[in-house]
Amino acid sequence: MSAVLAAERPQVVSHVQQALSYTVFDCKWVPRSARLLCLGSAARGTGVLQLYELNGARLQLLREIEKPKPIKCGTFGATSLQQRYLATGDFDGNLNIWNLEAPEIPVYSVKGHKEIINSIDGVGGLGIGEGAPEIVTGSRDGTVKVWDPRQNDIPVANMESVQGESKRDCWTVAFGNAYNLEERVVCAGYDNGDIKLFDLKTMSLRWETNIKNGVCSVEFDRKDINMNKLVATSLEGKFHVFDMRTQHPTKGFAYVSEKAQKSTIWQVRHLPQNRDIFMTSGGSGSLHLWKYEYPAQRSKKDSEGCEMGVAGSLSLLQNVTLSTQPISSLDWSPDKTGLCVCGAYDQTVRVLIVTKLNKI
Amino acid sequence: MSLSLSRNVRGCHELRSFLPCGAAGWQPGPWPRPSAPGDYSSRRAPRGRAGSGAGSGAGPGAERGRAGPGAPGAAMPVWLREHSWRQSPTAVYLSLPLRGARATPANIFCSEQYLKVSIPPFLFEAVLYAPIDDTNSTAKIGNGNIFFTLYKKEPALWDSLTLANADKEKLQYLRENAVLKAQEKAKEETEAKKITKQKHKKYALEATMKLEEAERQRIEALKEKERQKVAKELELWKNQEKDGDKYKSIQKKEELHQEIEPLKERKNEKMNKTRIPNEGSSKTRLKSTRGHGSCSIFSQKLKEEQLPAPRAPATIKVNFTPRVFPTALRESRVAEEEEWLHKQAEARRIINSDLSELEDLKEEEKNPDWLKDKGNKMFAMGDYLGAVNAYNLAVRLNNKLPVLYLNRAACHLKLRNLHKAIEDSSKALELLTPPVPDNENARVKAHVRRGTAFCQLELYTEGLQDYEAALKIDPGNKILEKDAEKIRHLIQGTMQSS
Repeated sequence: MSAVLAAERPQVVSHVQQALSYTVFDCKWVPRSARLLCLGSAARGTGVLQLYELNGARLQLLREIEKPKPIKCGTFGATSLQQRYLATGDFDGNLNIWNLEAPEIPVYSVKGHKEIINSIDGVGGLGIGEGAPEIVTGSRDGTVKVWDPRQNDIPVANMESVQGESKRDCWTVAFGNAYNLEERVVCAGYDNGDIKLFDLKTMSLRWETNIKNGVCSVEFDRKDINMNKLVATSLEGKFHVFDMRTQHPTKGFAYVSEKAQKSTIWQVRHLPQNRDIFMTSGGSGSLHLWKYEYPAQRSKKDSEGCEMGVAGSLSLLQNVTLSTQPISSLDWSPDKTGLCVCGAYDQTVRVLIVTKLNKI
Repeated sequence: MSLSLSRNVRGCHELRSFLPCGAAGWQPGPWPRPSAPGDYSSRRAPRGRAGSGAGSGAGPGAERGRAGPGAPGAAMPVWLREHSWRQSPTAVYLSLPLRGARATPANIFCSEQYLKVSIPPFLFEAVLYAPIDDTNSTAKIGNGNIFFTLYKKEPALWDSLTLANADKEKLQYLRENAVLKAQEKAKEETEAKKITKQKHKKYALEATMKLEEAERQRIEALKEKERQKVAKELELWKNQEKDGDKYKSIQKKEELHQEIEPLKERKNEKMNKTRIPNEGSSKTRLKSTRGHGSCSIFSQKLKEEQLPAPRAPATIKVNFTPRVFPTALRESRVAEEEEWLHKQAEARRIINSDLSELEDLKEEEKNPDWLKDKGNKMFAMGDYLGAVNAYNLAVRLNNKLPVLYLNRAACHLKLRNLHKAIEDSSKALELLTPPVPDNENARVKAHVRRGTAFCQLELYTEGLQDYEAALKIDPGNKILEKDAEKIRHLIQGTMQSS
């Protein structure tokens, strides 16, 4: 662990807290603005979308939109900066893309899955990376589907279980390795501890492993670079950081794992401005800020001469407990370093400021 | 030793006659006569019996009959008598030589009017002339000598060190009183000490609390400062963004005006469709951070043409790490789950394995599950007799598995052994109690098979009963309904005809 003085450590300051009248499942910053979006499920079983603006020391509600089905997750990842359309997955398995200016009719809609869409991610938009804009959804029906908003009804990639075999719930999906027009990789985490890495260029399974606990959240440190690091968090308070630069033919990727809290780690999010810092949110309502340090040599040769990755080390920069309920969603603002929003199951959304991150 | 007596004598002239231990009448000798046990007469009270003649001249006779002060054990204490004293108006200084005995503070007992030094076998007692302040008085031990500094309660000059006319009972009373008083004082002192201790503790606690509170507030103040600093930065950044956007929008408008001409024809239709909602909702847009309505469409459409085409749809087949339970995998539960599975497997294994024919069976053939699977395969291939054999053996191994009877019933139906089919279905149903949602399917099957058997035996009413039972379990099943209807018609038909 690097020795960081107590006075120099980043502080997590709670800036604004907003009580909501519905269960919030996901919260996202609207890119290039001080606005944030809360997605969730109202008590009467309908979906709620609320748009807030950060105004001084409070959140001002700009707009509230109600949808027939509760919404589980959303992303801005696949839209352009001008359009800023929101892609959402709901409890019924529908994938919709909304124009928030005219939210009555979705810009794109498809009933992608038979069961709830647990997780969604988008790539190719927001001026980040190259290639076609694509959205990936992972659902409880065990399938992971990749959609292109320009093609209706049919996914461009479908990862499903072999016919007749049992299926496991897919809990989380993430895009990565999108550094040029063709390359793209999707990582999916399942409830039986499987992590699978699918290569979309070759349409094949590139790597899989099992981390012995249901996988709650996976994220690459950057979507638009050659795959560098992948963090996978799981039940039982564990998370693994995989070094994705070197793949060994049998051993796969090197990793370092950490057991941070007694409870499930619900989310991991990397800081957009520094890809070695990430925050994990836990089932006990706590947030941990971590820093990854690279080893002296990132790869070494094993006994047969194959390249093998070397995992680095993790240090805990700060931790804070904000709530008694799990913090299920977390999002860093891409525009202001250290500004993040988190939504917890105690029906509050909090805007936090993490200080001194530029000094790390 | 004898000399020490007169050396320190000072004070009132009368003293001489009151000198204890009979200074005048001291018999020279290195040691005072050690009192032999039982030799009361040799003991002399240190209190001077001045009244009884010249000092020590009274000698033994004067003290006769006086009871000793509760002689400790059998040995009589040796009186220390060669003390000497002098006084000032406020204090009395008493010096007591110890004759080689070692003294500790525990040996000295002093109360308001009574002083005792007891170093077995030596003893020195004095009922003082007037009360002294025993809390402030001191005793210094050293040089084979104890030096008392007794502060008088009332400043006056004492006639003698000890009370003159002290008779036995008074002495006793005084002694006891003194002891009691001393005890009381000790108690009071402990009480007082306790109270002061508590006070001190409380004070200490309050002090620490204050310190901690101060610390906490300091930290809060720091946090508040951070928060405000950051809030200010945020505001600044927001304003910057707004200004920046405004500037950008103005710039872009100028740029695009130049581009509009050649693109207008191409984009006209699309523009009309998309511009209207944008303009309509521009009022609801608060700040112009979203950008600039119609102008952006152009740039976006341009970019679209540079994007690659959507991928060709493909499917990737996935195999999952097998897991029996539908719940998520948790490391801490793995042990429990393994145990449960193990127990389930145990329950299915051989119950009665002492059949001699089993010895020549292969290992797998002794497993009822394996036999069941074999039976199922043979049923699927149409070898009903073989299937029945397999089920028979399985039942012999474990007769608690309802599924074996169920499947055997199906075989018997095919073989038209209807009675056996009925038997087996009944046995299966028996085993399938209690009726829970888990074994719904099995129970439906059992009822249906039994019903079919009854119908084929032309016992339609019983058959109908079974079908209705099946329908009760699985109400939505159309096939069952149809069959039940058919049977009803048959019954009505036979009733009519008969």
